[in-house]
Amino acid sequence: MLVPPPSPELTEGRQGHYAGVASRLVAFAIDIGAVWLLYTLGAAAVSLASQLIVGHPLTLGHHQAVAAIVLVGWGFVYFSYQWALSGKTIGMALFGLQVVRADGQPASPRQAVLRTVLLPFSFVLGGIGVVMVLVQRQRRALHDLAAGTAVVYAWDARAARLRWLARKEPATPPQ
Amino acid sequence: MPNPLTDGVERLAQAVAERVVNLVVEAIDINAVVSRVDVDALIDRVDVEKIVERVDVDAIVARVDVEKIVERIDVNALVARVDIDRIIGQLDIDALVEQTELGAIIAKSTTGVLTEALDLLRSQGVGLDDFFARWTNRILRRDPSTLPPGPPLLVGTDGSPAAPA
Repeated sequence: MLVPPPSPELTEGRQGHYAGVASRLVAFAIDIGAVWLLYTLGAAAVSLASQLIVGHPLTLGHHQAVAAIVLVGWGFVYFSYQWALSGKTIGMALFGLQVVRADGQPASPRQAVLRTVLLPFSFVLGGIGVVMVLVQRQRRALHDLAAGTAVVYAWDARAARLRWLARKEPATPPQ
Repeated sequence: MPNPLTDGVERLAQAVAERVVNLVVEAIDINAVVSRVDVDALIDRVDVEKIVERVDVDAIVARVDVEKIVERIDVNALVARVDIDRIIGQLDIDALVEQTELGAIIAKSTTGVLTEALDLLRSQGVGLDDFFARWTNRILRRDPSTLPPGPPLLVGTDGSPAAPA
């Protein structure tokens, strides 16, 4: 199925512009899903290994406090490591988003860690920190302002539009 | 046979004449003289066509060492002065891709379904972002053109892309 190409206003020249709330929230939801999925797979692998080595499975579900600590720790590693490495998590890479410094340079590892620690605070008090993406002039959430970061579109939208146009049947070539 | 009297007088006369000429030349304000010359009238009187007809252009061109001239041109400086972005900006890239074989080459060079899905996902995301931003700006009575498009190092002051993120 060939969908119509996105309008130039939607795509062209967006590289490096501040990303909006919808892309960011959906990317974040994908990341939460990825954190949960990888945690579940990891827990299953640990349980299986425990079964093979000591003869009985180690089920984290029976130790909820430990499970919660492991999950939070894993989430911290997931976000901070990826932001420090490339400025992109899996969800952000899917949506072509990138965390950068407020001036546009790559985010530092320190900023990545700080951003990860402060991320939960954007969701408390009715998500006021996230609403800031809508009202703040630079579309920066609470954790962005505190960590000195911003989120931008990092995908080559112009190339995407050209790919779309290229998939259409070419007209009769000029003689 | 040399006459010492007349020769001496001649030398004196010659020296006096040279001195007078030098004094006159020094006294003449060349600029004032030139300013009084009606150059236009002078040019009008010159038959340029006739002069050009007498010039053997082929012979002049044959004597020009083009290779040497080209060697003296600083091509890098020349290219640096060309605004390629402006030239590319004048191209109708959409029409170029749609109407030429270039489109087929691009289509072949990109992996189909996954790229298409990603492009779709991202452009839908941008569309939704714009929708929310538009309504927020209306509610806050904010002029979108006054908002910074992106970080200063990634977009120019006019909003034009500066470098890939």
